[in-house]
Amino acid sequence: MSPAAAAGLYLHIPFCSAVCPYCDFAVLPTAAASSRRYVRALIGELAMLAEEELAFDTIYFGGGTPSALAAADLDAVLEAARGRLAIEEDAWLAMEVNPEDVSPAALDGWRELGVSMLSLGVQSFQEEELRFLGRRHSPAEGERAVREALKAGFDVVSADLIFGLPGQEPGRLLDSIRKLVELDPQHISCYQLTVHEGTPFHHRRLQGRLLELGESRQGELYELVHTELSSAGYSAYEVSNFAKTKAGRSRHNQKYWDHTPYLGAGLAAHSFSGRRRWWNEPDFEEYCGRVEGGERPLAGSEELSDAELALEAVMLGLRRSAGLDLERLRTVYGVNLLERNAALIERYVEDGVAVADGRLRLTSRGFAVADAVVRSLDLGLD
Amino acid sequence: MDLERERGITIKSNTVTLEYTAADGETYQLNLIDTPGHVDFSHEVRRSLMSCEGALLLVDASQGVEAQTVANLYLAMEYELDLVPVINKIDLPAADIDRVSEEIDADLGLDPFEAIQCSAKNNVGVDEVLEAIVGRLPPPGGDPEAPLKALVFDAQYDKYRGVVMLVRVQDGVIRKGQSIRLMHTGADHVVEEVGYLKLEKVATGTLATGGVGYVIAGIKTIQDINIGDTMTETERPAQEPIPGYREAKPVVYSSVYPMSSEDYGDLTKALDKLKLNDAALTFTKVSSAALGFGFRCGFLGLLHLDIVQERLEREFGMSLLLSAPTVQYDVTLTNGEPLEVDNPSFFPDAGDVECVEEPYIKASIMIPEKFLGAVMELCREQRGEKTQFDYLAVGRVEVTSEMPLAEVLFDFYDRLKTVTRGYGSFDYEALDYRKTDIVKVDIMVNKERVDALSQLVHRDKARARALHYCDKLSETIPKHQFKIPIQGTIGGTIIARKTINAFRKDVTAKCYGGDITRKRKLLDKQKKGKQKMKMVGSVEIPQEAFIAVLKTEKEK
Repeated sequence: MSPAAAAGLYLHIPFCSAVCPYCDFAVLPTAAASSRRYVRALIGELAMLAEEELAFDTIYFGGGTPSALAAADLDAVLEAARGRLAIEEDAWLAMEVNPEDVSPAALDGWRELGVSMLSLGVQSFQEEELRFLGRRHSPAEGERAVREALKAGFDVVSADLIFGLPGQEPGRLLDSIRKLVELDPQHISCYQLTVHEGTPFHHRRLQGRLLELGESRQGELYELVHTELSSAGYSAYEVSNFAKTKAGRSRHNQKYWDHTPYLGAGLAAHSFSGRRRWWNEPDFEEYCGRVEGGERPLAGSEELSDAELALEAVMLGLRRSAGLDLERLRTVYGVNLLERNAALIERYVEDGVAVADGRLRLTSRGFAVADAVVRSLDLGLD
Repeated sequence: MDLERERGITIKSNTVTLEYTAADGETYQLNLIDTPGHVDFSHEVRRSLMSCEGALLLVDASQGVEAQTVANLYLAMEYELDLVPVINKIDLPAADIDRVSEEIDADLGLDPFEAIQCSAKNNVGVDEVLEAIVGRLPPPGGDPEAPLKALVFDAQYDKYRGVVMLVRVQDGVIRKGQSIRLMHTGADHVVEEVGYLKLEKVATGTLATGGVGYVIAGIKTIQDINIGDTMTETERPAQEPIPGYREAKPVVYSSVYPMSSEDYGDLTKALDKLKLNDAALTFTKVSSAALGFGFRCGFLGLLHLDIVQERLEREFGMSLLLSAPTVQYDVTLTNGEPLEVDNPSFFPDAGDVECVEEPYIKASIMIPEKFLGAVMELCREQRGEKTQFDYLAVGRVEVTSEMPLAEVLFDFYDRLKTVTRGYGSFDYEALDYRKTDIVKVDIMVNKERVDALSQLVHRDKARARALHYCDKLSETIPKHQFKIPIQGTIGGTIIARKTINAFRKDVTAKCYGGDITRKRKLLDKQKKGKQKMKMVGSVEIPQEAFIAVLKTEKEK
């Protein structure tokens, strides 16, 4: 029986010209020698994979900054993947790109690679915000990158914004959103700035040199993002992701949220089989060294219990406009969420936090407090 | 008890018999009883004093004369005991013997030149104390031939031997094998063992007239005897019991719940065991919608409550939640029926209440003069009546006030300590029950009544108390996904209100590949943490909230 073509392939490119102070991904500064070594190792890892039961119809180059590598290197990686895995001929390919790397030649290269969705790390159109975030492009470069990417004819051009910066005035955020909406990309991701442990921002916060916005202020900005994008015709299909049409959504990322299997290759990449999750070595030396020694660079794995899968299904489902499939939750995991939480859910519906119509969906107000909603629900699984 | 050593207080009476060869060459047998000094245990002090001919009145060389020193002096005088004042702990760096001597003169009316200066720790003045017992206190009287009459002034529980009664023989003799009768309970027992308490029990076979010692008579539990009862012979009973018998009755009530409801069984066992040693403790089963099963406990006072709580936590490893302490109210219903209420849950509807009476005390507060204004004001705020003051000496004042016991229970100690910067001492005696205007204040969280937080409060104070509760709850209950109104109500009328605003923002920004495991583990942990919360409707109330409402503001 031929496998259903549904799985996603994630390929991690860890390099950045400089590491942003808020980033907690597996990244390191670009250097020619280590890039060459990494590409060889990634190809080596792909050659060791044996995922015969999976067929892939989406591929995602994430990072770091995939645009830090030459298109030829990315192509070699793709070739290696295609050589080893069952990847659909016309698989949907997405790629993260930094504005400063966008040039007509680069865009041509990515088009040739078969990129369907180009995701641009614009982050803001305010000079001082970009400097605070440690970005290396200017507002003008951000704007130019979006325009040129749109002109180049990708199926989907997406731009990322970061909001909730310390001291951020709603007016400045609104300005960035409006500028982006004017440029009219098909897809927008809006992430609230999160201070992760181990990042320079976290260190600064511990020293009292970085004051995060209060919860109420963050809520205000969050609302602003959602109302502004919604009125511009972008619908939130996930807590932080907006698209004008269904075709404009990130086909790959949606797989993370409905427990579709995905395979990750590269530094610190995570994989999921539907039941098991495993992840790669996050240390560059260790990762390359192990692959060079002919060994898979695995760092850990977990087998998910039904209770854990059910909790994830609730947590991920409530982050999406599609909501949570209550019937599936009941038949697969034996969790009757409505019955167990009747009064609470009624209250959420009354308060305009949720909609219950066979599925349980959070409204845009509900999205803002999705974590608290998940915490409050009793799954009866402990 | 470790607790006694740590706090430097006596909770249970103890007794020791020692042989002492005095300066005159004679060997004397001294029977000494150590009593608590705190007002909560005044029934024990009373019984101990009843068993004695004289008393050493210990005054701490650094603390000086306190309100409870005066109270205990009066008790001793009531029993016409001879007194020897002793200034103890003179080794302390803060000892101020001159000041304390003045206080003994002015506050107690005793001759300071008769006071012995002593440091038991450094063995200074101990011989003088023993000589004073021999020389200045009368020997016991009593008739060795008369029918046995002995006061049971305390009891201990021994897990192998059962009840060990501590007795003072007034007339007659106690012998091993003798059949004795406890005059108030009427029960007969056979003496299995009798003797003196030295550092350990020393069985002697007999206890003669005037002697202080212990009796074991096959009694299983403390509940089977009454402390203060008179022991006599079954064959030849005494005509009259020793007068002055009073049962120690609880005056303060609180509901005690285990932090986690599965520990209810352990709490039951722990209370049963404590009760073996602490006859004054009472408890009956209660249940709360928010806190589950627990016990309504009766205590002799706040210190007693504190000690019981601490013993349950330390000796039995319990983790507890206590409701606000309350007194017992005497309610007369409109149909004329009387009703005693010590639990807000059982307070009748306002329409059924004809009148309510509450217990009053006479408070005695000793302070340096400069705090007089503040303390008088404090007494007024605590609904004190007939507040008066007397100069004890230059710069020292005793304030007396008749006030409801209920006022002492809420925040009196903390506030007294604050307004007198720790220099005030306080003691009280029970007076009587007086008419009062009590209302039941309910606390509603998200429109649901939290039964464990209901209280009985004087009408004039209801609003302030309700606000205090609303404030504390709004500070300790975390934000939820919805607004939570917190209201104080009397019979459905809202008298205080606070609102906990809903979260505006609580969602993780990114949730891709590797984030999912991290996020799930965090959620899992948070969900487990939630199990420690008490659920009232759909609101999670942390345990701290129940503790915080009982705490008062340090500064007003």
